[in-house]
Amino acid sequence: MSTDVMIYANGLTKRYGSFRALDDVSFEVRRGEIVGFLGPNGAGKSTTMRILTCFIAPTSGVAKVRGHDVFDDTLAVRSSLGYLPQRAPLYLEMTVFEYLRFASQMRNLDGDSFKKRARNVVEICGLAQSLSKEIRQLSHGYRQRVGLAQALIHDPPILILDEPTSDLDPNEKAEFLNYLKQIGRDRTVLLSTHNLKEVESACARAIIVSRGRVVADGALDEIRAKSGRVHYVVAVQESPGSAPYRGKGAAPKGSEVEQALTSLRGAKKVVEHPTDERAHVFDVAGEEGVDLRPEIFRLVADKGWVLLELHRDTQTLEDVFRQLTIGDERRNRRIGPVSAEGNEDEDEDDEDEEDE
Amino acid sequence: MSTETTLEKDEEKMPLHASAEESSDDREQDAEPSERKSSRRDASEDAGSTEKIILDRPSSAKMIWTVAKREIASYLQSPITYIVISVSLVVLGLWFFLYKGGFWQIDRASTTRLVESVPYGLMFLIPLFTMRALSDEKRVGTIELLITMPVKDSEVILGKYLGSFVMIVIGLALVCLYPIAMFTRAPFWHLGELDWNPFWVGMLGLCFFSAAGTAVGLMWSSFTESQILSFFATLITLAVLYFIGQVSIVELLRGWPGDAVSFLSMQTRFDPFARGIIDSRAIIYFLSLTVLCLMVAFRALESRKWT
Repeated sequence: MSTDVMIYANGLTKRYGSFRALDDVSFEVRRGEIVGFLGPNGAGKSTTMRILTCFIAPTSGVAKVRGHDVFDDTLAVRSSLGYLPQRAPLYLEMTVFEYLRFASQMRNLDGDSFKKRARNVVEICGLAQSLSKEIRQLSHGYRQRVGLAQALIHDPPILILDEPTSDLDPNEKAEFLNYLKQIGRDRTVLLSTHNLKEVESACARAIIVSRGRVVADGALDEIRAKSGRVHYVVAVQESPGSAPYRGKGAAPKGSEVEQALTSLRGAKKVVEHPTDERAHVFDVAGEEGVDLRPEIFRLVADKGWVLLELHRDTQTLEDVFRQLTIGDERRNRRIGPVSAEGNEDEDEDDEDEEDE
Repeated sequence: MSTETTLEKDEEKMPLHASAEESSDDREQDAEPSERKSSRRDASEDAGSTEKIILDRPSSAKMIWTVAKREIASYLQSPITYIVISVSLVVLGLWFFLYKGGFWQIDRASTTRLVESVPYGLMFLIPLFTMRALSDEKRVGTIELLITMPVKDSEVILGKYLGSFVMIVIGLALVCLYPIAMFTRAPFWHLGELDWNPFWVGMLGLCFFSAAGTAVGLMWSSFTESQILSFFATLITLAVLYFIGQVSIVELLRGWPGDAVSFLSMQTRFDPFARGIIDSRAIIYFLSLTVLCLMVAFRALESRKWT
């Protein structure tokens, strides 16, 4: 009866005048997935979420939530969503309890189910002490909790959270992410953030947007592998110190080691890291699929140097993120006074650039 | 009822995006792939079948009332509301009793002067109670949370309208305290018998006036994020609509421009009520103005989607 695709977006484009906030964004989120929606500020995360929650309409493209179009069938879409907008805008003059009751009335919860849900939600969000406080008096972190509570009160199958953790302290964050993992088993969660650690701890999948486009979409491992680069860290002892070199071995000069490493087959780039006097530390960039570690060990052993450290650094999500989102500066988001066809050409050029 | 229609509508649309789970008949119709230029994948496979969602939504009236109730509660919680209402009542009283000899000058048990002067007060009171309705929500961003709940835009507008209107009606109801105190609770004043009917007709007229005025205020409030702007725009609109009906202006324009101006004016429409006459044309005028402004406000709220 039900399908797996809970959120479906195809070719979403949003233009503000000549500014392209979103440019052909397509993705889908299935039931039971917690998807991190990543991107630098102004990349179009909030815009996408606003489209999915029927707050604004896309200039072109289709978005569906549980198979219902966000434009034609907004009530069905909105009633299956729990949404926390950025910075949790709430009615400051209401108390937490009043606000939750208001939200539950809008969601058509009757008194009994409201009490039941509220107890649950208040516990999850740690609001028990603040129920009778005016929202105005709460700190940003607590306001965010109220925003979360409001999004959870009707137990929605889909949660769309726009930077839900931005104002929480580290403990709260961890707690919240844990809770997300729990409820995410049979629900669908799309959460935007620029904190990559959160994504790594809560999400199995991430969608990275940059300048209005999806630049990566997939399991975290896939995304990590996307840049296709592997780094090796090599540390060679420099000064004999208390453990002198044996035999003919002598402490090598930095340039010597660098030269040797550069000459290795498969080593692309060698960079020396600044360290203290006891060791030369180099960062060797290698190709994916080729393991350089045996080569490096043999090289060091042949030379008779002392190897202090050798390890392979897999790409962190952070690296990928930076790589995917920073290198994008060139792309022109403004649509000048060009004809419609001119624009399309421009679009295609852009894609070519990205493929490189 | 509306729930069912939406769902039916969906089912009609479904074949375009039917999933693999649909019957084979449906799948044949699927042969026409999505025509959107940007679709890179086969839409029929990905869009997923339309899941039946039972719309668990309160009735429109309940929804409007929920929005309005929140609005009214927030007004009643603010001390400014009480200050504004009592100050306007005091000013009205001073005007009524003392300005240029006031009530005593006429030497008759008549509240016409009271009813006639209330619109001037309403010109200030109405914008005060409508200026934040939508402007503040937009500025703070709470509108985003409100509108992403399963509530129709029209229900938001009507709820906000009702909230502001109820506050103004409360103010008007308090005006009734004057004649009640003067003619029923203070017999030692020996003011004579008041003919109550013209007074109630006057209050009815004021309600219609406020209904239209509140709609004007809500319309301005839906245009701007600034409360101040919303306040002055409403004030000026109401004042202009009222004062173009002044006899001197109508006479100055003469002929058809004068007629047109007096046709549009709230003052000419309100005058019969102040004199105790229920004028159906005036009622239609006020109601049309209300509906017009609410429609504009509705469109303005909807326009967030496009701009």
